[in-house]
Amino acid sequence: MRDASVYEVMAVALSRQFGEKEHGFIGLGTGDRAFILAVGIPTVAAELAISRGADFSLQYGTLFDPDVGGMPETLGDPDLLRWRCAARVPVERCLDVFRRGLMTCSFISGAQIDRFGNLNSVRIGRGSRPDVRLTGPIAQADHAVFAQRTFVILPHERRVFVERVDFVSAPGYGTGAGWREKLGLPGGGPAKVITDKAVLGFDPASKQMTLESVHPGTTVAEVLDATGFDLLVLDEVQETEPPSEDELALIRERIDPAGKLLQVRIR
Amino acid sequence: MSGKIVSLREAISTIADGETVALGGHTLRRHPMAAVVEIVRQRKRDLHLLGWNSGIDVDLLVGAGCARIVETSYVGISGFGLARNYRRAAETGTIEIREHSEISALDMFRAGSMGVPFMVSSVLMGTDVPATNPRISTVASPFSNQEYTAVAAAQPDVAIIHAHSADLHGNVQLDAAHWPDNDADIFIGWAGQRTIVTVEQLVSDEQIRLSPERTILPRDAVTYVVEAPYGAFPCSCDSRYTYDLAWIGDYYDASATPESFAEFLATWIFGTPDHESFLELVGLERLLGVATRGGVL
Repeated sequence: MRDASVYEVMAVALSRQFGEKEHGFIGLGTGDRAFILAVGIPTVAAELAISRGADFSLQYGTLFDPDVGGMPETLGDPDLLRWRCAARVPVERCLDVFRRGLMTCSFISGAQIDRFGNLNSVRIGRGSRPDVRLTGPIAQADHAVFAQRTFVILPHERRVFVERVDFVSAPGYGTGAGWREKLGLPGGGPAKVITDKAVLGFDPASKQMTLESVHPGTTVAEVLDATGFDLLVLDEVQETEPPSEDELALIRERIDPAGKLLQVRIR
Repeated sequence: MSGKIVSLREAISTIADGETVALGGHTLRRHPMAAVVEIVRQRKRDLHLLGWNSGIDVDLLVGAGCARIVETSYVGISGFGLARNYRRAAETGTIEIREHSEISALDMFRAGSMGVPFMVSSVLMGTDVPATNPRISTVASPFSNQEYTAVAAAQPDVAIIHAHSADLHGNVQLDAAHWPDNDADIFIGWAGQRTIVTVEQLVSDEQIRLSPERTILPRDAVTYVVEAPYGAFPCSCDSRYTYDLAWIGDYYDASATPESFAEFLATWIFGTPDHESFLELVGLERLLGVATRGGVL
């Protein structure tokens, strides 16, 4: 079988983080790499967990438990409205699931992240006028405040992994241990950061980002070089466990045979 | 006849410069684009725009110089990338941006529609968002020592949404099949001090009464109704038509510079006196091209 792609490695690494019972939220963003990171990888990871027997309730925005195999060709309304699912709830109910604390895991991304997992999707630059205006906080802020665990999926680049984010639009561990508890944030904060180079966690004592494993073919030095702050590094950094033959077969033959999830598709 | 059915020009002419204007829709879905285009045509200025999850609607109004304040959770052109007019205005300081998350943006309309002064929860705690937005503050719980976020109600001067049908009295309906992310429109519509609804088609009173459960805004919640077929174009409109990605792509390319965008506005908006001539310029082939072949679900 052809070698695993980096997206397959990321999806499989993410799938290993799930427990026996999960309620996960996946946004229905559109477009290119953002689609793969925000929709494709979490979807494949959840389906892998389901194939291992996990009771995984998947919420795509306002849709609950849609038929992933029947994902529509486009995300236009006429197609999406034909996507078979167990429930289609009003938008306020969809967002109340966050506040109600029912989300066991959710998946977020951003333009910048710092060592405590604080994310920025609002602006680059701290002056009165931004150097680059980005899209805005969207629901990422809500995931980060309310979900029991968030998984952050990012490209591993120095401009993304920065010493200080220019705007906190989605809180991680703030300034360190105890910060979320002091504010009374209901959610648990970022559990793992999964990039195209590595899997990173957060040190239980200090809540600082920690390199846990590097993907096959990547070195620790490369990861450190692509990170704009001092990463903690586990004494024994492992290689990220690569996808097994069975997992690759599942992804390619059953979960994503048409390459809708892990290949670029909209302009 | 109640005088609620007016032309697009008449409805939009009631908006004064500087008013707060809330727009329905979600990402590339069912924004009231015909109304947005008419706002540009009438050269409104200094509007305070409110949205839940915004896109080409807000970018167009900002690019045409109609907006002073933008208050929403997102402005982007989905798969195409950042909203370029919006980005340029933010980076040159010609608009003020008041941030929201999706929950807080919906909360302001929810509170406005419910008649409560603010919504209380832990939303946005630990973020830099409240510092940008005077609508978002903190409140101490009367029941514990916990502090919470308060999101003040929005009851905009004007709320504008696009829906599927209405009768001559102004009872507004959605098709049974509609994308639930756009249900934010229901809160937006109820929150407006004046509410303008564009619809795909006017239907009979009898037609509305056949399925009253589909009425999202009864007539007392509606100030004006405008018949505007394809009124969400180039955005999608539930099961009736999808988005026109080619048109949006042309828009995106044109928005690269102020000069190319001015040309785009001259052709598509200032060059068309009304919605009907705009649709003629779009052309039958494109309009039929985005229409769903399966009919209304």
